[in-house]
Amino acid sequence: MRYDSIVIGAGHNGLAAAILLAKQGKSVLVLEKNAVPGGMAANGEIADGIQGPQLAHLMGGLGKSEIDALDLKRHGLTFAAQSVPTIALDESGRHVVLQGSEASFADGGAHPDAAAFKTLRDRMVRFADKLATLTQRPPPRLDGIDLREAASLAGLAFGIRGMGKTDAREFMRVLLSNAYDAILDEIDDGVVAGALGLDAVMGGHIGPRSPGTVLTLMYRSIGGGARHIPAGGMGGAMRAFEASAQAAGAEIRYGAGVHTMIVEDDRVAGVLLTDGTEIRSASVLSSLDPRSTMMLAGPAHFDAEMVRRIRKIRAKGCTAKVNLVLNDAPRIEGLTAGQMAGRLLVAPSLNRMELAFNRAKYGELPEDPILEVTIPSLADPALTTDGKHILSAVVQYTPYELKDGWSDKTRAALANAVITALARYDSGMAGRVTAQQVLTPMDIETLTGAPGGHWHHGEMIADQMLMLRPAPGIDRYALPLGGLYLCGASCHPGGDVTALPGCNAARVVLAQETRRAAA
Amino acid sequence: MANRYDAIVVGAGHNGLTAASYLARSGLKVLVVERNDYIGGAAVSRELHPGWTYSNCSYVCSLLRPEVQRELDLPRHGLQVIPYESGATFMRNGDYFAYYSDHDALRREIARHSKKDVDAYDRYSRFVTRQCRFIKPLLMRTPPDPVRLKPRDIQEMLYLARRFHDLGPREMADTLRFWTMSVGEFLDDFFESDVIKAHIAGSGIIGTGLGVYSPGTAYVLLHHYMGEVDGSIGAWGFTRGGMGGVSAALASAFREAGGEIRTGSAIEKFLVNGGRVTGVVLENGDEITAPTVVSNMDVRRTFLKHVDSDDLSDDFKKAVRRFKIRGSSGKINVALDGAPDFIAAPKNAAFLKGDLHASDSLEELDRAYDDWKAGRWSQEPYFDMLIPTYIDPTMAPPGKHMMTLFVQYAPYELAGGESWDGPNREAFADTVIDKIERHAPGFRDLIVHKEVRTPWDIEREVGLTEGNIFQGELTFDQLLFNRPVPGYADYRSPIKGLYVCGSSSHPGGGVMAAPGANAAREILGDLGRQSGSNSVGRAA
Repeated sequence: MRYDSIVIGAGHNGLAAAILLAKQGKSVLVLEKNAVPGGMAANGEIADGIQGPQLAHLMGGLGKSEIDALDLKRHGLTFAAQSVPTIALDESGRHVVLQGSEASFADGGAHPDAAAFKTLRDRMVRFADKLATLTQRPPPRLDGIDLREAASLAGLAFGIRGMGKTDAREFMRVLLSNAYDAILDEIDDGVVAGALGLDAVMGGHIGPRSPGTVLTLMYRSIGGGARHIPAGGMGGAMRAFEASAQAAGAEIRYGAGVHTMIVEDDRVAGVLLTDGTEIRSASVLSSLDPRSTMMLAGPAHFDAEMVRRIRKIRAKGCTAKVNLVLNDAPRIEGLTAGQMAGRLLVAPSLNRMELAFNRAKYGELPEDPILEVTIPSLADPALTTDGKHILSAVVQYTPYELKDGWSDKTRAALANAVITALARYDSGMAGRVTAQQVLTPMDIETLTGAPGGHWHHGEMIADQMLMLRPAPGIDRYALPLGGLYLCGASCHPGGDVTALPGCNAARVVLAQETRRAAA
Repeated sequence: MANRYDAIVVGAGHNGLTAASYLARSGLKVLVVERNDYIGGAAVSRELHPGWTYSNCSYVCSLLRPEVQRELDLPRHGLQVIPYESGATFMRNGDYFAYYSDHDALRREIARHSKKDVDAYDRYSRFVTRQCRFIKPLLMRTPPDPVRLKPRDIQEMLYLARRFHDLGPREMADTLRFWTMSVGEFLDDFFESDVIKAHIAGSGIIGTGLGVYSPGTAYVLLHHYMGEVDGSIGAWGFTRGGMGGVSAALASAFREAGGEIRTGSAIEKFLVNGGRVTGVVLENGDEITAPTVVSNMDVRRTFLKHVDSDDLSDDFKKAVRRFKIRGSSGKINVALDGAPDFIAAPKNAAFLKGDLHASDSLEELDRAYDDWKAGRWSQEPYFDMLIPTYIDPTMAPPGKHMMTLFVQYAPYELAGGESWDGPNREAFADTVIDKIERHAPGFRDLIVHKEVRTPWDIEREVGLTEGNIFQGELTFDQLLFNRPVPGYADYRSPIKGLYVCGSSSHPGGGVMAAPGANAAREILGDLGRQSGSNSVGRAA
């Protein structure tokens, strides 16, 4: 059988693209090498047969318009907890609760930086809203602008100007600035600054002092920046993507690795699976990174300059994951049960974060790890049995290439550093751990195929964003080989579970294939 | 009356003197007041040890705009810039990488380190030259205000858009990428040899509180490349007699046009009446009046120290306060009894006449930056070391040498609130001298006299806030229409008649004279006068 489109990879972006294509009546086949949907957002076995969110553990940037367009509500997307509070853990024991733009101490006391935090965060959210229109469409073109695009860019310019002179000037000043200065200009360094700064750098090989981190902070603030815990773990949300795709008529094949793409007359004509099966299609959408995609098609089909550009895309993962199985619920003094189920941050200050980044730059293990922690089993008890709990920790600033090399010993050292850091807040932490899982950036690469184990399949920094993402010349989803498209996190607007790259790519494919059919 | 002028320029730095010269040439009666007993600001030659002349702040010349040199006729006023055509980085392993402006010699030297990098260098230098060509015309223009959008702003934005569009899609993308990336990643794109990358990367960090992997430093590299000596793009040279030669020539041009300079005249404050500047009061109590006053000082000093707080809005003061002027470097000037003997270099090697360094990898440079972030001077500092007496022997007694060392990084605030004065200043110098000693044993014994200038010293003596050589970081948020403060990138200020002409304003630091010339153009425009100059008189 010949399909209209083949989608490589059943990550959330691949599935999003498949849903939109199938809903337009296209015949779509999704090929996934693993056994479950979700890619980096899949559930997996943590230890002892317990399934949970192995990598991504919070749903943030998935906007209402994407949820609607992808019919996710109807296909079972539900949340165990919505808009969970962020708890900025303080070594002094006076933890701070951040809910939207409100900051207060966990015991309800007023925080001295509350007003400044609100001003700063509200401004970021306001600025982010202006950028939001840019994320739901391909990036602006450099090679001649069509009328519709010019109109929408003019709309953006008017939108920025419409914020008033003061805001408009501030927007243009901070846009390419660094989080460290933008935050510390308004509030003192500490856990509140750390919490904001973490949003600017999570998942990237960047420190809070790196210029460009205000842009990533804005990216994370689109739509208000709230975080949710899906029912059934992130994998539960991925099942909704899967169900929606199937309902729309897309076919999903698991355990189906792609060996190579079939290229005929400078056009992609289908794929050859690792088991030797040949499947034909008019177009192929790859949710893999550009380099892996190019290798599947064969670099010979790309000109030397494009090969060079694709090879030079920076994707050095800097984020590891440590998952712990606990025999009992952790307790942090001063936090309520509801707060414990929120998003716990160990980011004592921007300066400490920058120091942590220093070590990662030189391939050293974190000493004073920066963490985003959730205990999904608190909000969603169905995840575990026997009173056990899952503690899921994102460890920011863990190098992809460790100077001493990744081994069982260095993995254990990483887990220990995390447990020690958590024990500062819950002295009983070490005693509760019954099993642990350490996924270094290298493991993440092996598991998901993400280059360098990078969350975003490519560094999210100004020189790899918008029309420079993933590389100049391939910024509008189409690769220079007929019928071949990118639809993953490496594309505009970038990473996180937003489904935007997948949706944008599908729309480009629909428009181009329609034009091709007409011609 | 003796104390009434058409215009007063506060600060006899090179930008102040440039602005003053253009104003005087248009027929205005102009006074320059200078706090120090000597003119020049950071472009000075001073005999701090008998027989030795130090360019004790800025030390090499390249960026000085040729338009300004021509229009003010600076060569006739004594300016002579002698290019140096080489340089080197000494390596830990006892080898060196030499840089030659002679293309073939350079190719052979690069091949010694990496065959692949030979072609990479050609691609690299073509790219940087293209970028220089793109940016150069912007230096002598006043940035538009994208928010105010008066006709001039729209016209200027269209000019920028057209220039950008003319690059073509591919080059546009490369330009956007280049402007936003780090010098380290930019060089990683081209080269494989550590020492070649390290040699070039220095230009991406000099004068900034950024590391080689901080996005935006590729632009700083460009900032150091867009100069020229005798039409040779990217070349650097020595000013005969030291950097004071630039200031002396500018002062001579200014005096010939009828200008007057008063040294030893520190300003107390700017006089403001009803939102208009009326003159200045000196520390000695003298009042001097003028309807136009131009400040060569950085914006922080100008508005936070010398203007009554009540005369400025809170928003403006806040914007000035958060303008980042970070001390990141120090300077050591050394009188030497003889030429140092570098282990790696053959005696009398040509490259010794140029800029010498001893940081041979990007990681070493990045670690040097990490020290700065933590409030320490770099334990393995980057330095730009020159021995100008090889080319200009007039700066030291016969057979003796003068060495200038620009040292990065040195924070303004030391960790733990420690003082730079006293033991720390000496320890800082020792860190640098020890590093040189490793490459040139016996160096320490050659030292006849040395002057160590920490960020504190530079701030105290020259008046540069935090000792920052650019009067403000060259980061995106502080360039073009954001420099120094959004809404005031046109050299004007909220106080009518008060202008800024220092490196805090577009296009930024370096002995470039562009801010001074641009400010003069705006002032003369406001006064409805012609300057008799192409670049300064041109309608914006």
